[in-house]
Amino acid sequence: MRMPSGLMLALGVSASLIASAAVSNAQDKTIKIGGLLPMSGPGAYFGAQDKQGVELALEQVNKTGVNGYKFTIQYEDSACGPLPATQAAKRLLDQYKPDVIIGEECSDATLAIMPTVEQAKIPLINAGSSAIKITDPGNPWVFRIMPNEVMQGVDIATRAYDRLNARTAVLLNENTNAGIGNAKVFKETFEKLGGKVVAEIGFGRDVNDFTSIATRVAGLGKVDVIPTYTLEGQGLKITQALAQAGVVKGGDGAAIQLGTIWLPFGFEQKAGKAATGYVRIVQFDPTDQRPLVRDFVSAFKAKFNADPTHINAHAYDQIMLIADVVKRGAKDAQSIRDTLATTKDFVGVTGSVEFDKNNQNTKMDTIHYMETKPDLSWTALKWN
Amino acid sequence: MTATIVAQQAINGIVLGSLYVLVALGLTLIYGVLVQINFAHADFVTLGAFSAYFFMHMLGGSYLASIGVALIVGAALGWLINVAIFAPLRRRGSELLPLIATIGVSVMLQNAMLSLFGPVPYAFETPYSQQVFRVAGTFFTMQSIIIIVVSTATIGLLYAFMKFTFLGKALRAVSQDRETAGLMGINPNQLIMLTFVLASALAGMGGAMLAPVLVLTPFAGASVIVKAFAIVIIGGFGNVEGTILAGLLVGLIESFTTQYLDPGLIDIVVFGLLLLMLAFRPTGLISERREENV
Repeated sequence: MRMPSGLMLALGVSASLIASAAVSNAQDKTIKIGGLLPMSGPGAYFGAQDKQGVELALEQVNKTGVNGYKFTIQYEDSACGPLPATQAAKRLLDQYKPDVIIGEECSDATLAIMPTVEQAKIPLINAGSSAIKITDPGNPWVFRIMPNEVMQGVDIATRAYDRLNARTAVLLNENTNAGIGNAKVFKETFEKLGGKVVAEIGFGRDVNDFTSIATRVAGLGKVDVIPTYTLEGQGLKITQALAQAGVVKGGDGAAIQLGTIWLPFGFEQKAGKAATGYVRIVQFDPTDQRPLVRDFVSAFKAKFNADPTHINAHAYDQIMLIADVVKRGAKDAQSIRDTLATTKDFVGVTGSVEFDKNNQNTKMDTIHYMETKPDLSWTALKWN
Repeated sequence: MTATIVAQQAINGIVLGSLYVLVALGLTLIYGVLVQINFAHADFVTLGAFSAYFFMHMLGGSYLASIGVALIVGAALGWLINVAIFAPLRRRGSELLPLIATIGVSVMLQNAMLSLFGPVPYAFETPYSQQVFRVAGTFFTMQSIIIIVVSTATIGLLYAFMKFTFLGKALRAVSQDRETAGLMGINPNQLIMLTFVLASALAGMGGAMLAPVLVLTPFAGASVIVKAFAIVIIGGFGNVEGTILAGLLVGLIESFTTQYLDPGLIDIVVFGLLLLMLAFRPTGLISERREENV
């Protein structure tokens, strides 16, 4: 039976249209990433630096795409607070409909958005919030690629006791979930080891002048270490006030201030001489000689004319982890979640990632201890 | 040891209180003359702080000169905002419109500064912050001395201006009865402008003084303005002497709460005092009839 030529032509045109649509679909396959980042308020420096890391990573992964997928991102300002973060999450989910979300930085904000992403069944990758509750118990849709407050707190308290021979400590922390939680873990571990916490001083984020707190610390007598849990702005003022009061090494005192990943790179230069002797955890070692890190550092410098910070590196790793799960076959929210959960050997610029049953990264190679030298440069202490 | 700590916390409280007074005085001046709350005052403080910062770090000016620059920038901004926004709204005869406009100006200024200066905290170091003096177990910086000297001089000058100059007397007349003052040949609009310029100049200067103490971001002023409002209420709305007393009192309360209670309780103590004042002494610390304020 012969088909009429007109019908053949029509079938041919239809087939080519379908084929071209299929090709076009393959090229248009997109993984939509939502960025819930603080872009205003006291934690806005996180958002600004996160965006740089994200931009660099997206530029690199979108050059060739991954398994035919390209990656796009839309940001919402979650402002490091529970209410703005929840509103931003809802806006993002309703309007942008992302396949995966990265953020928030502040624990209170992350805890607030967790039920929302769980309800929407969209995976959330977190790299900045340390509160234990985020992954213990957590929920199946939330993943954390950095050590939680217990992992960090136990480690820093143990190092303070073993490496710095500290026996007395004063805890300074902002009154937030993360601040209180980090201080509590330090205290429990330090006291279990035989150390003594002589004072726990909490304060709100609206405190500006830390001279009175430094005076109180100075009045406590000999203190070996002062673990401090604050954002950058208050951290600067605390360090300077402790130096003025003659408490810490930077002010010719004896105490060593201990800090966490909350502080960005460049903190020492802003704090000046007061930061001398400060020992803190950073989750990206700029002196790391692995080729992956060297490539990241040079690409970042080329794009932004600046050295990358751990916040830049965290954001970069979050995007690269998403690209990695897409490479392993993930294509939508559910499969991204399921593939993320099986991550065992991801190597990022901050360290490696392997999730436990609560979606907490179990690797400790993301913890790097740095000591500030008198010229305000760093010595990597290589304790981990 | 205890006496030393008490003396040290007293010094800390007076320094902090002096800074609060500088910020709160502008608020109380505007309220005294206009019976209006200026929600944008915090942002005038922030802009003053940034003016001083950039004058020092980009133009290489000295810190002391930067205080003058911040004062001028504050005054100019006060004049501009009043001419462009508040005065036209006041001419419409509504009291609500200028009040709402101050909120609009505040949001606008915060966002303008956010886009211009970015969100990352600035480290405002002066040569005087590092000069630490240790006397009889206490410590204080040269910066603290400058804060106290400049604040005291400013308060003294403002007091003298109000009490002994024609413009000061005219200002007080307008605050007591705007219509009658107008009938006496005083131009209330010019005096309102003068009030705005003075208050904004104080805010700008307060910003330059606070900047080395504050975490300098586009939201810096907002962190002290709530305390400043509390001080104005505790001191008595529009009452200059009451504001000075309340500012120093709040500074001392903060220091001693930190020492003997907990810094996390500062707001509870300060705002508890505010509620007590509202309940039992609504006219403020220094009782005065409203029409005699300013």
